[in-house]
Amino acid sequence: MNENRRQILEMLAAGKITADEAERLLAALESEPAATVGDFNGSIAGSRGWSETPVRTHAKYLRVLVQADETMTGMKGPTTVNVRVPMQLLRAGVRLASLIPPQAQEQLDEALNRHGVPFTVSQIKPENLEELIDHLEDLTVDVDGNDGNATKVRVFCE
Amino acid sequence: MIPLIAVLHIENARWHMPRLWIPLILFWIPVILILILLSPFIVIVLLALSLFGGISAWRVITVFWDILCSLPGTNVHVTANGNRIQVRIL
Repeated sequence: MNENRRQILEMLAAGKITADEAERLLAALESEPAATVGDFNGSIAGSRGWSETPVRTHAKYLRVLVQADETMTGMKGPTTVNVRVPMQLLRAGVRLASLIPPQAQEQLDEALNRHGVPFTVSQIKPENLEELIDHLEDLTVDVDGNDGNATKVRVFCE
Repeated sequence: MIPLIAVLHIENARWHMPRLWIPLILFWIPVILILILLSPFIVIVLLALSLFGGISAWRVITVFWDILCSLPGTNVHVTANGNRIQVRIL
């Protein structure tokens, strides 16, 4: 069962949404091509009755799917790679950049600029990662191989 | 919470390995013992980093602890050349 479905069922069990709303949300999930993370407006039972309150679902995992056929890899059978990484791990990993001493950061930035990479290590911050996650919707990259064969790489949050 | 169990599953066309549920606690205990034995050296290194590198020792410990505690939920599944490998960290 995917994460979004589970969250909807948990909210229904907790009484935060009605059965009709849960059904509509599940139907919306099935119709969307890559419905993983987003806002939805639902009625939530509160002490004063039902009210329209926006509830934000936060991505918990980053998924990377790679599918390549045998003509691309030269190996027998298709090759698939399916990686699921918790978002918390990515956030913790981003904090690693804060451990780099400032002098080393400057030297890294200079070296990157010399090699034509316009990137500064000090830009790696948890808030920038959150912005990236917010903008990361279902991303599919098709890599054209020989004879029209393609490799699919799909990156998305769920 | 630190990862407690890893599930490993390998199979190919010829043989099929049952899913191995590996209790990582068996790994953490010797690691903790080694850390305790090396703790004087670790403290010296962290102090040196703090004094000369400008890095807070506490921040180093918390970042690595966060990374360790974020590992549960990681799932890697690779199928290639007729072989399948799956690793899950719970």
